[in-house]
Amino acid sequence: MRPVALEQARVFIIVAAYNEAASIGDLVRDLMEQYAHVVVVDDGSTDETAELASEAGACVLTHLINRGQGAALQTGITYALSRAADYIVTLDVDGQYDVKDIALLLGPISDGTVHSTLGCRGSGHDKPSLGMRLRSALRAFGKLGARLGLRAPAPLAHNGLCAFSRHAAQMIDLQLDRLTHGSEIVQQIVAHGLTLREVPVRVRVSDYALRKGQRSSAALRVAFRYIMARFTR
Amino acid sequence: MNALQGLVVLLFVTLAVLTLSAGLRGTVPKRVVAAALLLWAFGGVATVYPDTVAELAHALGVGRGADLLLYMTTLSLAVACFYMYARFRRVERQLTMLVRRLAMDAAAANERTSLPVPRSSMPSDPIRHSEAAPRLM
Repeated sequence: MRPVALEQARVFIIVAAYNEAASIGDLVRDLMEQYAHVVVVDDGSTDETAELASEAGACVLTHLINRGQGAALQTGITYALSRAADYIVTLDVDGQYDVKDIALLLGPISDGTVHSTLGCRGSGHDKPSLGMRLRSALRAFGKLGARLGLRAPAPLAHNGLCAFSRHAAQMIDLQLDRLTHGSEIVQQIVAHGLTLREVPVRVRVSDYALRKGQRSSAALRVAFRYIMARFTR
Repeated sequence: MNALQGLVVLLFVTLAVLTLSAGLRGTVPKRVVAAALLLWAFGGVATVYPDTVAELAHALGVGRGADLLLYMTTLSLAVACFYMYARFRRVERQLTMLVRRLAMDAAAANERTSLPVPRSSMPSDPIRHSEAAPRLM
């Protein structure tokens, strides 16, 4: 299948947002400068997230009940596919990426090299703090788990920025609603025999993201859900 | 048989009757009915003749009858928890699919009705969550 050239492609940006009124407007405006199709999946927010996203020009899909980030992303992907998307990019509201870097993820897909790309932490960071080092130790466990489950080496520590070709997006069916989708995306990509590449992306860690970020103990919860889900299909 | 034993046996008989009637109405699968009846029968026997459980425990290498009951209870509780969790996840997934469908339908309806009007010029509507629902019917 010949990939569509990036200039003529319909690129859909999917953002899952739950109570992100503080930042969603700016994010959507940033994205809209470069991409025509920005889809915000309002995951049952109780604040003004949907209104602000819609005012900023995004297409807003509303989950009447909060279903978690994985579920919201899948809703966005399903919607984008139904609107003839050629390429789909998913990102976190508090991801703090440079919008220009999205093109870095689309590059290897639009030239037909791979089916999907994941953003990963770029190099050139400051010396990691103790907390960050602890987290990377925890993440190593996560990687090990993913390897055992996947039976193939694959990255896990992606930063929420993912891009898919239409073909790859059609294969993916996220069934784990909560945060477990990070592993699930990787697992499905590998299970469907799709190709994957990690692309280093600069991440600006702001106070906002740190405040909103998860505690390291969330990793255990994610691991538990992931394991249980494999048993309870 | 003392009064307490009589009470417990009565409880098991009631449970058996309820299980049977549910089975006859067809609301519960047959194998579940059979398993439940077996369980109530075992409970009844264990209540009236506690020695049989003790003998069974000895045969299985467990010290006392009470210990055997404890192990069995723990085991069945774990199994029950697993089934409940599996069912819970199934319901969660169905709920997600329902919520997704509603979101998609609302978006489609929105595109049909508001194509000429930019969304930003629409009056701000604080109850758009509840407003989306009737449109779907």
